Amino acid sequence: MTTANLTAPSVEQLAPNLKAKVEPGALATAQMAFLAIGVLLIGASWFSGHFYFSYLVGYMGVLGIVLCALFFTMVQHITRAGWSVTVRRVAENMSWTILPLLLLFIPVLIGSHDIYHHWMDAQITDPKAADYDGVLAGKSAWLNSTFFFVRVFIYFAIWIALAWFFRSNSLKQDQTGDPAITMKLSRVAAPGLFLFALSITFAAFDWIMSIDPHWFSTIFGVTYFAGGYMAFLAFTILLCRWLNARGYLKEAVTTEHYHDLGKFLFTFMVFWTYTNFSQFMLIYYANLPEETHWFAVRAQEGWGAIGMILIVGHFLFPFAFLLSRHVKRSGLGLSFGAIFLLVIHCFDMQFLILPGNTGGHGHGAGTENGAEHAHGAAGGTFGEQFGEYLHNVSWADFGCFAGLLAIVAGLTIFNIRRTNLVPVRDPRLAESLHFQNF
Amino acid sequence: MTAITVIDEPEDPLRRAPLVEGKNDFASVTETIARVAEKRTPRGWYLMFGISIALLLNLGAAVGYLVFTGVGVWGNNVPVGWGWPIVNFVFWIGIGHAGTLISAVLFLFRQKWRTSINRASEAMTIFAVMAAGIFPAIHVGRIWVIYWVFPLPNQMAMWPNFKSPLLWDVFAVSTYFTISALFWYVGLVPDLATFRDRAAKAGRMVAARAYGLFAMGWHGSNRHWIHYEKAYMILAGLSTPLVLSVHSIVSFDFAVSLLPGWHTTIFPPYFVAGAIFSGFGMVLTLMIPARKWLGLHELITLNHLDNIAKILLLTGTMVGYAYGMEFFIAWYSGVEYEQFAFINRATGPYWWSYWIMVSCNVISPQFFWFRSLRRNPTVLFIISIFVNIGMWFERFVITVTSLHRDFLPSSWAYFSPTLIDILTYVGSFGLFFTMFLLFCRFLPILAISEIKGVMPEADPHHGHGHGHDDNHGGEPSSNPTH
Repeated sequence: MTTANLTAPSVEQLAPNLKAKVEPGALATAQMAFLAIGVLLIGASWFSGHFYFSYLVGYMGVLGIVLCALFFTMVQHITRAGWSVTVRRVAENMSWTILPLLLLFIPVLIGSHDIYHHWMDAQITDPKAADYDGVLAGKSAWLNSTFFFVRVFIYFAIWIALAWFFRSNSLKQDQTGDPAITMKLSRVAAPGLFLFALSITFAAFDWIMSIDPHWFSTIFGVTYFAGGYMAFLAFTILLCRWLNARGYLKEAVTTEHYHDLGKFLFTFMVFWTYTNFSQFMLIYYANLPEETHWFAVRAQEGWGAIGMILIVGHFLFPFAFLLSRHVKRSGLGLSFGAIFLLVIHCFDMQFLILPGNTGGHGHGAGTENGAEHAHGAAGGTFGEQFGEYLHNVSWADFGCFAGLLAIVAGLTIFNIRRTNLVPVRDPRLAESLHFQNF
Repeated sequence: MTAITVIDEPEDPLRRAPLVEGKNDFASVTETIARVAEKRTPRGWYLMFGISIALLLNLGAAVGYLVFTGVGVWGNNVPVGWGWPIVNFVFWIGIGHAGTLISAVLFLFRQKWRTSINRASEAMTIFAVMAAGIFPAIHVGRIWVIYWVFPLPNQMAMWPNFKSPLLWDVFAVSTYFTISALFWYVGLVPDLATFRDRAAKAGRMVAARAYGLFAMGWHGSNRHWIHYEKAYMILAGLSTPLVLSVHSIVSFDFAVSLLPGWHTTIFPPYFVAGAIFSGFGMVLTLMIPARKWLGLHELITLNHLDNIAKILLLTGTMVGYAYGMEFFIAWYSGVEYEQFAFINRATGPYWWSYWIMVSCNVISPQFFWFRSLRRNPTVLFIISIFVNIGMWFERFVITVTSLHRDFLPSSWAYFSPTLIDILTYVGSFGLFFTMFLLFCRFLPILAISEIKGVMPEADPHHGHGHGHDDNHGGEPSSNPTH
């Protein structure tokens, strides 16, 4: 390389006022507070009606955020993005919480026989058994406990390796300023994204779609990714604003960067709608019983109201709200949009995970429940349906999401305190610091 | 023509590679692009135009024969009621996706390299949509009542079926065509004014009048540019959802049905990825020869080709992901019809078409993992041809293999095209290339004003930003070559 002996200008040259590091001890209280809130919320949720399902709602909601932090990092490298360099370190530190998230997956593993009981426990593959299910027996090569647990470790191995690789090399560049590292990360990002796409798809199949093992949808992995990336952007916006308020990253992540993050937030909110509309409309239109039952369950026991909330809250309202340039450039406006969409993301996860499995009806498919319980039939006004939803849902279905989000926030702050706040010797740092949106 | 000097430097993250290479300034960029339309018509152009016109006449003959005889002249028959015409329709619509992606989506993503390829790609888009539009129109059988596809009030109180995705297609494609044409034309206005002024200076008054008519009095005032940039931005915003919606709705034509192999929820994004893949494939097929023959290599650099190759690798792999998901879910679903449809695709009577599709669309772009191949125009051109072939076969596989095995085995059949099928398809290339060659001959083939906008001279800090760190152009001052 012709310029191998050259290094990038340092952050002191570029932005003398920028605080490159958090002072020792600073933010420690906040970090501990976030972690404590998280642990308390999760702990309290244990005593709720259907803890494992609530936990899975929170876990899948937060996992999407952390995985998409990794996705964001890789995309910035592969596209040689200049604007986002100052945001990237936050994403790198967030993605590295994937390691503790492996430990936090343990409750899902413990509860797996409860959550995935349709295919894990029953003697479905034994033709002589009373609950033999020919369809599930046909897919038992994929849906069996052993392979399920093996896949958990394959997915996490991919995610941890990628997150470690991208973060540690970026930190190495903080020391050396070697532009070759940027080139290396750009090269690895391509196969990295390929592995990411496959692993997040099959993780979504395994951990959400297989709750109803009869149901299938080829787009399901894409819908999970779309919601996760939107939530990642919302969470990052809030985290950066929070750091700004404490005097960090103020010169580095400016209105210009928030404007771009806001555009992406808008884009992926719409992309979520696009993928979910595709899924719903095609299944509704073709009206095949093996597919529609999944939506039929989601029209019962009050879930119809959540479907409406998702249409309005995940698309119509944020579309109108975030379309404006002024909102995306206003601190208050964008923060409100981000908080709003994070709450909606929790509803989305509930809608995917809970229907047919909770509400005190015990085990058994939701369709059967709907038939057994008169009040479980579809229909009723929005108010009636929402009342029924409130009757069936537990506070922990929000509490676990909030708790895990607080834990990830605390762990991200833990990582942020140990690294530079921005990639201080990234070759494109100057571009990012001077970035102006049109 | 000057000898081609190709700059192929290793990538350096410390500075952005120049988008215009060589010793070019604003004047030479105008000169290079305008010369293409102003110099004497080359003999090669006449030759290609002659071939294209011959193919176009052939299209007219095939369509004329069809209209006078009926759709029975095609190979379409029970159970394959949708044969080549739909395959060709989707093929051309797909190609028509790169232009708007480049002009709208890459614009919103601030991908400045788009400026060298957007004009020709947008033109390609419009001509591809024209070629696409022919097929459903002639497929209706009674083309003289084609206006019935529009919801026109009439005394018979007859309305199109609003529940049919085929009607949604009418709206989607016509909207797409309108916005694409408008977008293309708005971008052309400043360049048409340049052509007008140059023609007037050279004393070619007919040309000056013609260009002047369409330049609508543009004289490059500040107020003109402000309006222009606003309009361009709004059109980019409006076009972006169209890039996704058109091929999504085309995919609904198949996916709303109950047919195994057609009804699958990933179809909309999968079709969009495939469309972008095929569109960029055709961009390469057209631009690599144009770059060479018209001496545009300093404006369409190896970096541009490299970027296109990366998009081909990305979208080709996305299409591969969709093929994989279809197969996996067909097995996972436990639905025996789904399983049969996919196994039959890969191993049944049309196995050869399935494997042509997979080799061309998924395997051939994998060569682009290697930088040296991404920057080799010959390799790029060859693979772009494979992409075009593969994407035609993708639509063939989807349409024909799903239909030829009916639910009722007594209806099973093997579809073969007729001579008229083949002539119509080949003829559609005649229409496409005739239009494209006319465009190359008479209009600015690259966007002159936009290319100037991404040159360092256009940066307001150019010339007095040296040694300072407040260089908003994005190039750190440590750049030794700056």
